[in-house]
Amino acid sequence: MKFEVHLDSGTGRTKHVVDLEKEDASYKVFLDGQPVDANVILAAPNAVSVILNGTAFEIHIAPSLDGTYKLQTGPHEFQADIRDPRTWRGRKQSELEAEGRQQIIAPMPGRVIRLLVNVGDEVEAGQGLVVVEAMKMQNEIRSPKKGKVERLQANVGQNVNAGDVLCVVF
Amino acid sequence: MFRKILIANRGEIAVRILRACHEMGIPTVCVFSEVDRTALHIRLADEAYLIGPASSRESYLRIDKLIDVARRSGCDAIHPGYGFLAENPALPRACADAGITFIGPSPETMETMGSKTAGKQLARRADVPTVPGHDEPIDNPAEAQAIARDMGYPVVLKAVAGGGGKGMRVVPEDEAFASCWRDASSEALNAFGDARVFLEKYLLSPRHIEIQVFADAHGRVVSLGERECSIQRRHQKVIEEAPSTVVTPELRRKMGDAAVRLARAGGYVNAGTIEFLVDEDLNFYFLEVNTRLQVEHPVTEQVTGLDLVKLQIAIAAGHRLPFAWESISPRGHAMEVRIYAEDPDNNFFPCPGKIVARRIATGPGIRLDEGVYRGWTVPIEYDPLLSKLIAWGNSREETMARLRRALDEYTITGIRTNVSLFRRILAEPEFLRGEIHTKWLDELLALPHPPATPPRPGTEHAAAIAAAYWESLQPSSSSPSSQTPQSAPSRWKTEGRRTQLDPLP
Repeated sequence: MKFEVHLDSGTGRTKHVVDLEKEDASYKVFLDGQPVDANVILAAPNAVSVILNGTAFEIHIAPSLDGTYKLQTGPHEFQADIRDPRTWRGRKQSELEAEGRQQIIAPMPGRVIRLLVNVGDEVEAGQGLVVVEAMKMQNEIRSPKKGKVERLQANVGQNVNAGDVLCVVF
Repeated sequence: MFRKILIANRGEIAVRILRACHEMGIPTVCVFSEVDRTALHIRLADEAYLIGPASSRESYLRIDKLIDVARRSGCDAIHPGYGFLAENPALPRACADAGITFIGPSPETMETMGSKTAGKQLARRADVPTVPGHDEPIDNPAEAQAIARDMGYPVVLKAVAGGGGKGMRVVPEDEAFASCWRDASSEALNAFGDARVFLEKYLLSPRHIEIQVFADAHGRVVSLGERECSIQRRHQKVIEEAPSTVVTPELRRKMGDAAVRLARAGGYVNAGTIEFLVDEDLNFYFLEVNTRLQVEHPVTEQVTGLDLVKLQIAIAAGHRLPFAWESISPRGHAMEVRIYAEDPDNNFFPCPGKIVARRIATGPGIRLDEGVYRGWTVPIEYDPLLSKLIAWGNSREETMARLRRALDEYTITGIRTNVSLFRRILAEPEFLRGEIHTKWLDELLALPHPPATPPRPGTEHAAAIAAAYWESLQPSSSSPSSQTPQSAPSRWKTEGRRTQLDPLP
């Protein structure tokens, strides 16, 4: 099985193609087309143990709400976005980007605590636009498409209801 | 000894008390709110009773419901833990009326010693040094401002009924007085239902060092030594240790004697903590009394070998304190970190949620006091303290090495924790040398993050392999035909909707 793994370490982004070939009870692993000496198992719930060229790693994995995975190993964290080129299954919006003028609405009632963009800014799909605090949690509302911020209707400190338009991206 | 004990609390401290009871062979009765049905203290309890909805005002703070449960279940004692009703004299009063023993001091000592102003007056009588200030609550802001001018800025305003930094404001200069006054008194009113504040001189870089005292009902009062609690974020303790790096045996004796004098003067019985501020010349000033078990009590337990909860229960049952403890001195070193469900990269915002998976820290010199488990959802309604990780060793260096090692082992998946904060503190040269004060951490956090230690070679490749492997285990991955229309919206529908929508004006 072949996967395209996009990793974001917070300081840089990388892309790797990982091919896992079932071989007896384990897998033969190819990284970016090259065979590697890797042994990979599920050691505990949500904990994958990888022995790569003799170096042992334990990677803790949790799914995020946006369909990516959060990876944790010791003090290091990565965000992983995975695509399976064979089935071309895209993760959520990454394959199918919204089209046309998009109204970005508040998904829950809360308070606007930060604006991350200005009117006229060019934004990427998935980029944070507005931060809404609800139930003491801060939620970043992301852009569903690449485009330009046409209008910002939210003000810092403003209380919003679910469904209220926060901004418009075109 | 008691027949059965009601634990009027939740979270890690309820579990801690329950364990002491079970070691003593005493059955426990636990209480829970509607969101705590699955909490660990309920899973471990002998008996458990629902006492109301999630809001603590309608559950854990309801004295009538607690007394009712204690009566119905045949409890003859109540342990309040810390927080909630632990320092509310109404609970011991209600206990006395119901013929139930309250495991803690009397309501009268709670009032005289727990109140910051009354405690200060008592300290003066007991010849315990206090921070220069004005003991009486002040009603009139203009009058208070005049006193502040006389005393010289900075001054600090504190809620009479306060604790945990609530209702507290540092006034740096005269111009800020009015707004600080307003903030402190409104916060005090909201948090404690009492808007009264008093003021005192603000020490610039003091340490917060506290003395654990124990007193039995037969007149014996002992000090169990100090805890260094200077690592605080916005007046909330983050790391505690014992012994303190600056406390010499002589200073320990002097502070211990002062604490014992104060406890005697107040007729104190059971466990209490006398908090002091210690300035750079090692002068100590009485700050306040906590008339309860402290969150950080395990560090004292680790260096004294005593079980403070069991001692509390024994004293409440009328037992005497043994002699030998009057000259107790710490053995080795202990340090505790408070692991919270909060995001250190996002201003320490609470982020409760489901604990998807976890790896526990264990091994030599490690103790984990907690009320969480894998699969449990940390409720949003309460303090998001997950675990207290305590390390001890022969020296401070060994203790810190163990703590660092245990922090690497401790992994929670699914929610964010403040573990990276402790890694950072435990790498700071000033902390390693013990050169700390109560504002040290806030100052550190105002600095830019140091560059992260580079990961071991291969980490990123291992992460990519792990992610791909994890994906291959997900049921939907190998069967694209099982995709539901929701996860892959039809392009026909999308196009149809788009054309029907009116363009925005």
